[in-house]
Amino acid sequence: MIDPIILQQGSDWRAQAEVFDEIFFVFLALGTLVGTIVVAYTLWNVFKYRDDGSEPKEDFDAPIVGELPTGQGGPKAKKLFLSFGLSAIVVISLVVYAYGLLLYVEEGPDTSDAGNIEITVEGYQFGWEYIYPNGYSTRGEMIVPADQRIDLNVTSRDVWHNFGSSELRIKSDAIPGEYSSTWFSVSSEDVEAQGGEATYRVECFELCGAGHSAMTGQITVLPQDEWEEWYAGTQGENTSSVDSAGAGNASSVDNAVIRGAPA
Amino acid sequence: MSELPPTTSVKRWLVTTNHKDIGILYTITALFFLLFGGVLALLIRVQLWDPMNQILSGLAYNEAVTAHGLIMVFWFLSPFAFGFANYFVPLQIGADDLAFPRLNALSYWMYLFSGVLLSISFFQGGTLSAGWTIYAPLNIPAYTPSIGSTGAILALAMFTIGVTASSVNFLVSIHHSRAEGMGIMDMPMFTWTILATVWMMLFAFAALLAAGLILASDRVLGSVYFSATEGGSLLWGHLFWFFGHPEVYIVFFPALGAMLELFQTFSGRRLVGRKWVIIAICLVSVQSFLVWMHHMFLTTINLEIKTLMMATTIGISLPFDLIVFSLIYTLIKGRIQFTTPFLFAFGALLLFILGGITGVFLGAIVLDYEFRGTYWVVAHFHYVMFGGATALIGAAYYWFPKITGKMYDELLGKIHFVLFFIGFNAVYFSMFLGWETPRRVFEYNPELQIYHQFGTIGAFVLGFSFFIMFYNFAKSYVSGEPAGDNPWDYSRTAEWAISSPPPLQNWPNRPSYASGKLEFVKDYVPDRGPAVKTDANGNGATDGGDTHSEHIKEYPYWDKHPSHASIWPLTLSFAVGVLFLGLTGFRDNVVFEVGESLASTSVTISNPVYPILIVVGLVGLVWTGVKWSLEDFYAPPTEFAERWPFEGVEKVKLGMWFFIASDVIVFGAFLSAAIFVRYNAGWMTWEPLAEPLPGLINTFVLLTSSFTVILALVAARRKSRQGLLASLGATIVLGFTFLGIKLWEWNKEIFERGVTISANAHGDPIQASIYYVTTGLHGIHVVIGLVIAIFLFVRAYQGHYLEDERPIEYFGLYWHFVDIVWVFIFPLFYLF
Repeated sequence: MIDPIILQQGSDWRAQAEVFDEIFFVFLALGTLVGTIVVAYTLWNVFKYRDDGSEPKEDFDAPIVGELPTGQGGPKAKKLFLSFGLSAIVVISLVVYAYGLLLYVEEGPDTSDAGNIEITVEGYQFGWEYIYPNGYSTRGEMIVPADQRIDLNVTSRDVWHNFGSSELRIKSDAIPGEYSSTWFSVSSEDVEAQGGEATYRVECFELCGAGHSAMTGQITVLPQDEWEEWYAGTQGENTSSVDSAGAGNASSVDNAVIRGAPA
Repeated sequence: MSELPPTTSVKRWLVTTNHKDIGILYTITALFFLLFGGVLALLIRVQLWDPMNQILSGLAYNEAVTAHGLIMVFWFLSPFAFGFANYFVPLQIGADDLAFPRLNALSYWMYLFSGVLLSISFFQGGTLSAGWTIYAPLNIPAYTPSIGSTGAILALAMFTIGVTASSVNFLVSIHHSRAEGMGIMDMPMFTWTILATVWMMLFAFAALLAAGLILASDRVLGSVYFSATEGGSLLWGHLFWFFGHPEVYIVFFPALGAMLELFQTFSGRRLVGRKWVIIAICLVSVQSFLVWMHHMFLTTINLEIKTLMMATTIGISLPFDLIVFSLIYTLIKGRIQFTTPFLFAFGALLLFILGGITGVFLGAIVLDYEFRGTYWVVAHFHYVMFGGATALIGAAYYWFPKITGKMYDELLGKIHFVLFFIGFNAVYFSMFLGWETPRRVFEYNPELQIYHQFGTIGAFVLGFSFFIMFYNFAKSYVSGEPAGDNPWDYSRTAEWAISSPPPLQNWPNRPSYASGKLEFVKDYVPDRGPAVKTDANGNGATDGGDTHSEHIKEYPYWDKHPSHASIWPLTLSFAVGVLFLGLTGFRDNVVFEVGESLASTSVTISNPVYPILIVVGLVGLVWTGVKWSLEDFYAPPTEFAERWPFEGVEKVKLGMWFFIASDVIVFGAFLSAAIFVRYNAGWMTWEPLAEPLPGLINTFVLLTSSFTVILALVAARRKSRQGLLASLGATIVLGFTFLGIKLWEWNKEIFERGVTISANAHGDPIQASIYYVTTGLHGIHVVIGLVIAIFLFVRAYQGHYLEDERPIEYFGLYWHFVDIVWVFIFPLFYLF
């Protein structure tokens, strides 16, 4: 049972979507810049050095059939290493920059003693079941409060799925016998902006069978007080909504939470 | 040995072992599969036109997606490249043919018949629908029950066997048959990329073969590897991607080779930083085996390993930066001719730059988390793999005049390029724009529809452009202008120094680069005896290479003509195809009821066709194998050749070593699978299923048999027929003793302890599966060894091997290897 006291969200929290958008923008900007320069330079030179039928220049040393292959040295080799060095610096600095943010995404925001909500997501052919800390479970729709970190432990009861929401920029493999984790958090401003109830599309990102295309779901984010009200109403009816094939009983949830807890 | 019929005869194409003929067969077959995979792609694109479209059912759509991926990656890209490799690598290195011409034909026919198996699988209740990555456990019969799914997987396994044979063949050829004076750094770049490709193939495809065999065992024999929750899904991921990442470069490198050749030929400039490009290629080949987990960043892999994989992934992108800049700078100050081949090669570079930049995005793990399973990945790998293959289309135009002797139509070629390039970018760039669509989904978010509609239009333009190529090639072949021997102004490599098309024997005299450039040397050939090397002036040369006397023993048939025809590669592959077709329906039609003992076990056969096919295939396999071995087929090694770094090794022995190296990976994958699953299940929770004593006895039996094989070799060297027969006979008896004890053990475990391949009365079922499958694979190796040993025994009885004991020696290498594998299996399954 989680502590119902929900702490205020710190102002320095960043959602995965924000982090992603920042890195994506930086990569896109630099990638476009480098790509444009390289391609433009190449196209210009290909045009410039086209064979226009004129007499070859004196230093043009045409290859002949049957020569043992040799390379071209001289100033071009220097240029080659200069370009290579530059590109290496760009690539490595990009990755080092992205790595810092990876560490943040892996850790998630520091919530100190806040009670994160830990929800087990179980994929099946073809849908998602969400098991809440009190053992209650829903299918299709995950209902969570705003301004709080939600930790997901994702697994599967049949084949390999991948749980993801493009809008929230979260994704996690759902593998039978394994528990992978991810987290997200939606601010109350976003919820208000969507009219008091924010919804996000959930899709399956790993081919899982004939119904893969239709394996969609929804994440619904409610303001905290509304969510608490809803959640309180689910106490005690934990397994009733789940059929016999489901894993929605309390003991297996505890088990799942323990096994899935990151070290 | 049969004579090679003329090219107009159908029979020629069934029996030929000539590398040029086989190259043509590969290319044409690959183009057929391009059409096959292309039609499937168009079906996919039609379905994607509208997110509500249901032209195909969900299952049929998945089948189309899966078959499209498998066909394009396996049955089109690599075979298309290896069509050119077959034709031109021997020409570029100055060899008469590949090292093992019959093995080369075998590779081709295995490729063709595996493709036939895949095609048949569509009619066996539907082909595989688990995606080309075939993730577990969707790949087991519980989720993909059709016989055709098993068919597709066995087709892949058969294809893999052909690839392994081909890798061994190319490795030996390139390392063993380079013309005098052509050091390894002097090889043309296309040959260099093929060499790197086959090195990667040798190991990567071995991992795929192991994965395919384990999966086939799950599907045909009923083992439970991939349904096990003790890491079964992740096991597939690791095995598949250990193969899968090198596969990207296996597909790309031949195309890169074509780019490197064409950029030089059509600019008249030599490659900038050639040595460094070669080093970069070698680096990538090694590194490609160290990055596979970047395909699995979301699969509960810990941060340390993710960081390591990120570093190696970025590391592997750097050599490509160098290669790309080298290609660009090569053009500068050249005289660039915008012929069709150059346009395709240049287009390939532009596409690869885009594919490479978008690949860096995927290397950043945070971005990869979100791109995982989306069209960003689809777009990226099409830009890299198909973008690379664009250069191979250029290569087709480049070498068309050499292969046919006719010139293609330049205008049609350019129209093809323009449509191709526009269509390509329309279909794949739109995927970047609509990247949030999940892969293999057709009911996608309607907001993204515009991108998919744009892509569908592009796909039809792209598809149509190929018909211009087919028309161009067909028309030019029939009525094109004669091309002459060397239609290009700045070509360099040796294929342009001979006629178009080249004669059967390739060279007018022995090609040699000893003087620094290609010359054809007329060697002095005495009436009886091997040729004597002469230099360009006709004087006997004594310097360099292997000395003459060392070679005499290697060429006992010096007075014979090389053979170019054999029917046995075709029949052997056909037999394997029949066997595999039979295996597809084995589990559905043959049901075993395990009783109290072997006698009370009942077998129910519901459809006799499949078991009959298995028997026919097996008999055919052994029969054609024997005919193959007895055939008088003469493939002389290149007499005076550069062989670095394998100077002292005879070619068949070298081939044997390469084969064993690949088999080490196969067994390594099986043993790693055993260790991985056991680790996931909790190492100490498993007790060995088998009793140690019989296993210990078997260890001694097998080690003793290794000793008797050595005795056999010694006896053969001493020309003692009796000694040879006695030691070979002892080896056979020991081999059968080993198998007998093995069967006794299995019998006891199945009927007394209730441990079968899919059930285990004493613990996890997966433990039983691993025990039977791993020791079973070893057992099959022993059986194959025994078949060879019996063959050798009969031949020795007839008096062979006393003059030439090499077959005994090479069999010994194999047998020792099988014994050493047992030394690893024994402790893992009997002691701990």
